[in-house]
Amino acid sequence: MVTATVHIVDDDTSFRTAVARLLKASGFDVESYSGSQELLDRVPDGPGCILLDQNMPGLSGLELQDRLLQLAPLMPIIFLSGAGSVSTSVRAMKAGADDFLEKPASSADLLAAVRRAVARGEAQRLEQDKLNLLQAVFKSLTPREVQVFKQMVRGRLNKQIAFDLATSERTIKAHRHKVMEKLHARSLAEAISIADKLGLLGPPD
Amino acid sequence: MCKIYYKIRLRLSAIACMAIACFALMDGSEAASQNRVPRVLILYPYDERIPATSIAGQSVRTHLMDATDGKIDLFTEFLDLARFPQSAHIDRMSRYLSEKYVDHRPDVVITLGEEATRFMNTHGRRIAPDARIVYGGFDRETAAELDLPTSAVGAVSEFDVEKTVALAMRLQPDAKRLVVMVGSSSFDQRWLRTAKVGLADIEKTLETTYVTGFSIDEFAEQASQLPDDTVLVVLTIMRDRNGRNLAPRTALERITAVANVPVYGPYSTYIGSGAVGANSVTFESVGEAIAKLSLEIIAGRDVADIDVQPRYLVDARQMQRWGFAESNLPPNTIVSFSKPSVFDEFFPQVMTVLAFILAQSVVIIALVFERRRRGRAEREARNRLHELIHLNQSATAGALSASIAHELNQPLGAILINAETAEQLLRNETPDLSLIRQILIDIQDADRRAGDMIGRMKGLLKKRSEIDWQEFDLNNVVKSAAQILQADIARKKVRLEIAHHDRALLVRADQVHIQQVVLNLATNAIDAMQEFPVADKRLKFETSLDAVSGKVEFAISDTGGGIATENLTSVFDAFYTTKAKGTGLGLSIARAIIEIYGGRIWADNHPQGGAIFRFALPHAGGG
Repeated sequence: MVTATVHIVDDDTSFRTAVARLLKASGFDVESYSGSQELLDRVPDGPGCILLDQNMPGLSGLELQDRLLQLAPLMPIIFLSGAGSVSTSVRAMKAGADDFLEKPASSADLLAAVRRAVARGEAQRLEQDKLNLLQAVFKSLTPREVQVFKQMVRGRLNKQIAFDLATSERTIKAHRHKVMEKLHARSLAEAISIADKLGLLGPPD
Repeated sequence: MCKIYYKIRLRLSAIACMAIACFALMDGSEAASQNRVPRVLILYPYDERIPATSIAGQSVRTHLMDATDGKIDLFTEFLDLARFPQSAHIDRMSRYLSEKYVDHRPDVVITLGEEATRFMNTHGRRIAPDARIVYGGFDRETAAELDLPTSAVGAVSEFDVEKTVALAMRLQPDAKRLVVMVGSSSFDQRWLRTAKVGLADIEKTLETTYVTGFSIDEFAEQASQLPDDTVLVVLTIMRDRNGRNLAPRTALERITAVANVPVYGPYSTYIGSGAVGANSVTFESVGEAIAKLSLEIIAGRDVADIDVQPRYLVDARQMQRWGFAESNLPPNTIVSFSKPSVFDEFFPQVMTVLAFILAQSVVIIALVFERRRRGRAEREARNRLHELIHLNQSATAGALSASIAHELNQPLGAILINAETAEQLLRNETPDLSLIRQILIDIQDADRRAGDMIGRMKGLLKKRSEIDWQEFDLNNVVKSAAQILQADIARKKVRLEIAHHDRALLVRADQVHIQQVVLNLATNAIDAMQEFPVADKRLKFETSLDAVSGKVEFAISDTGGGIATENLTSVFDAFYTTKAKGTGLGLSIARAIIEIYGGRIWADNHPQGGAIFRFALPHAGGG
């Protein structure tokens, strides 16, 4: 299994060092940044999470979070703040922060939050991988097969689909078989679930 | 070798000298115990108010003390015979003195004047049987009458009333009349008899009147109504018709004050009291002669009577008053008060100066009271100000509490995590001891940092009623304020720039107060930028030394909206505020603080926008 990396952004060297040391001792890889700009210069990727100090020179934690959601949407963010107020923590959480810890946080709380975030990030990453795969597969479908797939996951019968597409019921059956094969779907229920993940179950076109 | 020998000789001779000195001392002290200090009794006939005997007595005393270097026992008795002439009193005095001096019989008794001499002649055997009498203050004729023992010696003086009249005749050649005033006491009446004898010849040329048996007021009234061509001689008035006792000089003064003709008298003490002149011995010289005789007697030498020579004496001021020329005076006349005293010459000026000094004193006294009152008021105002400064400090501390908490939480957070990490590391089978050591060092550092921060805060919160005067570098205060503000500045996205003067800028003040001012100005500047939408928020601290004024300056500039020109001075007034939640006291307190330390604070606008606040304080470094 790949080691998760925790990215610590804090302008306070002693605090950063302490946290880095704790995380290393707990088996994480650690990257340290003394400010927002430093992090933006080499946007992190891969398994792990970001520990973000709220008060920093330059971009504040919240602003950095906004940017990161665009640049590295899969990196969970934990806020660490000495002067955390309710409003900033709510904003942070709404914007998708994983956690909001107040200094001085105990190492147990900090580790728990990091582990949670890393795990969630990992799960998210896995989900994303699956989705990426599905999307690739989806792209391998012929336009006709896409048409059939979209109709069938809405529960329409072969007869109805053949009528809509002005073709024979046998042809639709063959397309349908091909789609199921490409998507590795063993049942209609599975095909519907895939369609849902691909965002095809919105309102009818 | 030779030198050493010389040194030894020197030392030996020194020892010999010391030994001789010791013997001499012993000898001296033995002599002193055998020959005790001589005792001299000075007998005054009257009380201390009579200048003639007082002056003579003082002169005796001074000369005796000087000549014996103080090694003499002087006793003084006032017989007060003018006021108590009764024989009962004389007897009482005699008994009293004989008993008083029973163990201290005087070796010499000095009698000043005729009456004291007479008293001693009668009662001397009782008071001081073995004493030599030295008398003075009267003439040889009187002395002969007294039938004194042959052992008595005197400094006799001739009071020559004819010579006094002769002096008057020289000054008033056109005089037709002579008026002689004399009192009612037996002493006065003796004078009357003496004068009548002495002036017998003069009566042939001048119409002479002897005025006696009057009250002092009647004497004065008479003197004020005399014809112009009158020579007025006042002998002595020791008692008037009403039995009132007077010092002769006092009586004379009463008369000269109102007399419409010049006044003459036979005594030196009359000079300076309004009399024009006298032929007299001075009482100082009588005293000196008596002292001389006494010393001869003490020394065991044979002595005879001394004549104290009379002189012509005049008062220059009176000469001038009556328009007499000094050229008319007999040769060798002693002219007193010839040079007007500074006081006389510059009377108006002296009075002006005195009045000025008096006025000044009054003002000074008033100022002292005022100063006390003001001191109290100032103390009270100072206490109030301290109270206000403290409140403002607390408010600043409150406003900065979030920043302070953040600042403090950094090291505290680091400490907690470091400690817990160390604990976790120790649970390993092979703990990384060097890492744990590093952790412990970091914990200590963080703890020290937290301590420093608390120290910086303490000043802001501590309540003090006295100014804690210190000499410190303004740069350090600015640095420390920047550290306190750091988190606040970061949160509000302000960029702080500090431009320090390259050398220490020493000022003498309460460091916490100055820090307070810097924090006040800084928080104001930060707020100004917050309320005014600017993309680039810059705060600049700058310290400098003004070479011309020798003052230390601090400037804080922001990139906010600046101050409306008409408000540049009123911003320092109390209750001026642009903030919704402001008290309007921060800047007025800042001004009060700066002024306490002899400084100045002012505001300005930056040409590129934003405000600049500056204060200047006296430089304690002195160059």
